[in-house]
Amino acid sequence: MNRQTQTLNELDRVIHEPGRLMIVALLFAVDQCDFLYLQRETEMNKGTLSSHLSRLEEAGYVEVVKTYRGKVPQTLLCLTEAGREAFQRYRKMLKKAL
Amino acid sequence: MDQVESLLKRPRAYDNIDGVGELMLGFMCLVFALFQWLQVHTPEHSIWNRTYMFLIWVGLMLVVTTFGYKAIKKHVTYPRTGFVKYRAPGKTWRMIVTMIGAFVAAVLAASLYAARSHWNMTSTLPAVLGLLVAAGYAFGVGRTARWKWAVAVSILLGSIVIAALPTDLTGMIASGSWMTASYPAESIGTFLLCIILYGAMFLISGGITFWLYLRHTQAPTEEANEPANADAQ
Repeated sequence: MNRQTQTLNELDRVIHEPGRLMIVALLFAVDQCDFLYLQRETEMNKGTLSSHLSRLEEAGYVEVVKTYRGKVPQTLLCLTEAGREAFQRYRKMLKKAL
Repeated sequence: MDQVESLLKRPRAYDNIDGVGELMLGFMCLVFALFQWLQVHTPEHSIWNRTYMFLIWVGLMLVVTTFGYKAIKKHVTYPRTGFVKYRAPGKTWRMIVTMIGAFVAAVLAASLYAARSHWNMTSTLPAVLGLLVAAGYAFGVGRTARWKWAVAVSILLGSIVIAALPTDLTGMIASGSWMTASYPAESIGTFLLCIILYGAMFLISGGITFWLYLRHTQAPTEEANEPANADAQ
């Protein structure tokens, strides 16, 4: 196995999935955003986005806070410190592999 | 990899998705131009030429723009396309902003010195200002939509037209003012015209952006903000 293939194999599988990569990249650029913003930017349906977020939350990469904007429920999302580090590591490795 | 990098830039572009930033900037330019016009056309010792009045005016302008910006975001943008809280700017970004600020301040200070020395600035001032404003607009806002490049070009062309105006015409704006004892009337007129042009361009551009935003977006009818307990794809 050459070095490039080895690096590709070592990529974080939680982040490497295209949908989740999109979510993590968007969250990396902000401090906090809500579900509606992510849904609009990723063009995913509620169910798909929700399941990706659950997977990222399980991995400890995303923090989900349920709150209210007036009387409307609002789900606020942000990347945890572990999520930020994992994404930076992922970017470095991907650059190395390409 | 490029796609990841472009994703990282998207939240920043989202900040002006509704054109509110441009609207506020245009409002500030026009309000500042109005204050300048009042200073020029009132006697030297009138209330409009007092330092405290300038500070009150600037304070009011900042209060209106800050609260106006927040109110539009809260009641229009966030319910339609979502809420975003940005990260505090990093060291590099702060350094770039400081350097740009220092450069603009140096250009303005040099212009003020040149005007006081009664140098003819009617052609250089709009050209330099126009170039700076058009470049800043193109870099900061113009990249988000193609039609905005036309606004950047209009700012530049408008500045060139102001630079080419006969000095009699620009001088008429400030003729008879007490300020002409310190600054040439044509320089005052040219500066006022430039500020009005930039304010009008920002307002038009921000207005079109806001109108397009309202036309193409609407608040979700259902609770789209609340994730459903759906299965994975």
